[in-house]
Amino acid sequence: MAVLLPTTIDETLAALAATPAALVLAGGTDVMVDVNEGRRRPEHVVCLRRVETLRARSVENGTLVLGAATTYTELLEPEIAAVAPAITDAARTVGSPQIRNAGTIGGNLATASPAGDTLPVLLALGASVEIDGPAGRRRIALQDFLVGPKRSALEPGDLMIAVRIPIRRGPQEYLKVGTRNAMVIAVASLALVVDLDARTVGIGLGSVGPTAFLAAAAAEWLTPRLVWADDRVSLPQAADAATFAGLVAAAAQPIDDHRSTARYRTHAIEVMASRALRRAVQFGAPHRAAT
Amino acid sequence: MSVVAPSIGAPADRIEGRDKVAGKATYAFEYEQVNVAYAAIVQSSIAKGTVRAVDSAAALALPGVLAVLSHENAPTLSAEGELAVLQSLEVSYRGQIVAAVIADSLETARHAGQLVRVDYDVAQHDVELRPDHPRLYKPDRVNPNFPTDSEQGDVEQALATATITVDETYTTPAQHNNPMEPHATIAVWENDGLTLYDSNQGAWRVAQTLAPIFGIDVGQVRVISPHVGGGFGSKGTPRPHAVLAAMCAQHVQRAVKLAVTRQQMFTLTGYRTPTIQRLQLGADRDGRISAIAHDVVEQTSTVQEFAEQTAVATRMMYASPNRRTTHRLVALNLPTPAWMRAPGECPGMYALESALDELAVACDLDPVELRIRNEPDVDPETGNRFSTRNLVACLREGAQRFGWSDRIPEPASRRAARWMVGMGVAAATYPARRAPSTAHANAEADGTFTIRITASDIGTGARTVLTQIAADTLDAPIERVRVEIGDSSSGPAQVAGGSSGTSSWGTAVVKACRLLRAGQTEVSVDTSDDVDGGEPLTKQAFGAHFAEVLVDVDTGEVRVPRMVGVFGCGRIINPKTARSQFIGGMTMGVSMALFEETLLDPHLGAYVNHDLAMYHVPTNADIGEIDVAWIDEEDFAVNPMGAKGLGEIGIVGCAAAVANAVYNATGIRIRDLPITPAKLVGRL
Repeated sequence: MAVLLPTTIDETLAALAATPAALVLAGGTDVMVDVNEGRRRPEHVVCLRRVETLRARSVENGTLVLGAATTYTELLEPEIAAVAPAITDAARTVGSPQIRNAGTIGGNLATASPAGDTLPVLLALGASVEIDGPAGRRRIALQDFLVGPKRSALEPGDLMIAVRIPIRRGPQEYLKVGTRNAMVIAVASLALVVDLDARTVGIGLGSVGPTAFLAAAAAEWLTPRLVWADDRVSLPQAADAATFAGLVAAAAQPIDDHRSTARYRTHAIEVMASRALRRAVQFGAPHRAAT
Repeated sequence: MSVVAPSIGAPADRIEGRDKVAGKATYAFEYEQVNVAYAAIVQSSIAKGTVRAVDSAAALALPGVLAVLSHENAPTLSAEGELAVLQSLEVSYRGQIVAAVIADSLETARHAGQLVRVDYDVAQHDVELRPDHPRLYKPDRVNPNFPTDSEQGDVEQALATATITVDETYTTPAQHNNPMEPHATIAVWENDGLTLYDSNQGAWRVAQTLAPIFGIDVGQVRVISPHVGGGFGSKGTPRPHAVLAAMCAQHVQRAVKLAVTRQQMFTLTGYRTPTIQRLQLGADRDGRISAIAHDVVEQTSTVQEFAEQTAVATRMMYASPNRRTTHRLVALNLPTPAWMRAPGECPGMYALESALDELAVACDLDPVELRIRNEPDVDPETGNRFSTRNLVACLREGAQRFGWSDRIPEPASRRAARWMVGMGVAAATYPARRAPSTAHANAEADGTFTIRITASDIGTGARTVLTQIAADTLDAPIERVRVEIGDSSSGPAQVAGGSSGTSSWGTAVVKACRLLRAGQTEVSVDTSDDVDGGEPLTKQAFGAHFAEVLVDVDTGEVRVPRMVGVFGCGRIINPKTARSQFIGGMTMGVSMALFEETLLDPHLGAYVNHDLAMYHVPTNADIGEIDVAWIDEEDFAVNPMGAKGLGEIGIVGCAAAVANAVYNATGIRIRDLPITPAKLVGRL
């Protein structure tokens, strides 16, 4: 097993071009489990640990651009929490401190597990992924990047450079049910993001389908029933919340596995949709803000 | 008059605590060896059948591979059951050892292990425990040596005429011990003798077991185990990897290191059998029990028998003129169950204490009062006196500390926002055992004392507690006493099991130290003649658990914000390490109630959630406040320290207290552990 340790993005791309079958190693929190259990035995490994530019962070025209090797621990930092609080909430639920120090946002996306904690949030935020490789530099919307269970749109030789996250003003929620209170893989998870400027709602679901995905129909149904103000959003008909939660649950396509049952997952999604909406949206007739 | 402050009763820090947190304490796999080789285990991929051929060619072709050991070239051993490693073509469970690779590096050994091809003739396996299994049988005895069944009076008649009856079946799933330190052994053959650096709960037991397997004298085996990172029963007897390590070292004529992986621990190091327990209680309207029947179905393997003594605690727990307990087994194509965290008492008391709670509901009685009403004067099974029995005191003290009087008996009557709130109680008991041990003690010229005993500190605090016992017997400060443990060359001693360590080793330490006080400077003692005799007494520790739970009305999530445990365990030698033991046991009880379950894939014939990512134990965020207290008790019938063991009683009954609290919170009785949200939701 040859391990390559590039220090720049160009070196990394060159290494991947030379050995397109190489395994890309970021935090290793998923990859090393596979290696240790003998499920993968790569001939070449390209390690991203020394590529400092993959941890760059910037804001470009209202978009937060996070280098693909940004760790979960870095996602907890106040400047990220200030502009994308649901990402911080999701990162906080990942593993233990050691895992959060190692695991990366790019690794979470490239692994493409339906249970990946940042995936529902990034979907709800409308994030996209920036990729470089043999086909050139390009951006792919996250819902198009996640093509199947543990399968992404990354082609051999590709490197994920960054995750581009629109900064949205408004409430953001991430809710997760697991089989214990910490260090747990989601039984079901849900992110709800309200954009007060665009007057849109995004709802991402995790662990209730072959990939994390957007509950687009529920969001479309909800949006015209909301009353928008500059600093808040209301749902005049409180009964609509139950219909909305039912629509979100209807979008779920869960399975039975060792962590829980399909029936419980659908139920949990419905409960979380209702709770997230209640936290993000004021129920009943909108009040005029005092002037 | 003594001028030295007594050590017993003082919250002494762990003697090796600083070394452990600084990473200086050496564990089994870490001992440096010259010219060491590494072994990797190859496990069967079928659950039943025979090995047709082992193809080692690809593995042997890998640079650095020294040898592949299989039934084809393994030496003949004098071993039976799980320890007859590579002695037969027969495969009895999935994950059985079918070969081993020895290589210059761990990585090479593991890689080569994946290259060994084993062909099988596959037979149909049988892995599912059912109460109506046609091959259920009655074992001759149950662990460690109890009668299989018991019967007094006429249970059926008493049940038929009782005013109030409870007849329910409770199940517990397969559970795996999962100590933090995986099992590991280094084997070194020198001068025809075998030295093992090994992670175990009893170095003497390992030496005594392995010597005849290799046809050598026990004096030719030395087992070194000063620090052990937990065992929970799974290291109480030598496991197959220890035999295999010695075989590999003999085969390549080098020191060999063999570490069992976490995944392999789910097949090679024991587990708790699943249990199916039918409890029948008959009582009058005042809750006085007239009949108890506890009928247990559980599993063993086809390799060797292990019969968990699940119903044994029911024999002495409550007064009742009519009583029956039975144990039935079926031998399945699965690994052999073994000791795990209070084998017998732990699953059995979950069922009994759950049934008591159901009886309290049926009689409309407070469950604390129900237990007090059925307190026996003597052991109802034998008629013997209890040496001490403070169950009632534990229940009363616990109720007071917990605030039991605030409980609303009517279930599902307390809410705090979305949380349904409930309280539950259960009793605990565990035998106060003692077994023979030997010890050596020296009064050194510089005024210090050295005690050597093959005791084992698996995280319990045994080293510290034995030092305190020695210091008080010698009337010396603990700084002048050195207790050396975990080396089989110190001679026969009890294993760290059955909550018997302090009692067994402490008796030997006291005996040796008394001789030093009497003026001798170098003594060796054996307590074989001391541990029995006198009036036949039932010697048991008792306790009471109280738990408060919150159940999320929407999602069915269960939280345990608060528990109280009160115990009558004789004299507490070290309140600090004792408290840690009780808290650990109660944490395992919550774990049993809410999390732990090894899942069987009947098609594969394998336990599938075989790592700590899928087999869940609680995190800090899952455990609330645990308040531990003990009754002022001394029991010199048990041993000269007046102390009972306390390593296991913390888990006994704890899961029932949580389950009973879930019932009080919700009105739903979950009789199949663990209590998961999926079992509650839809019924709330």
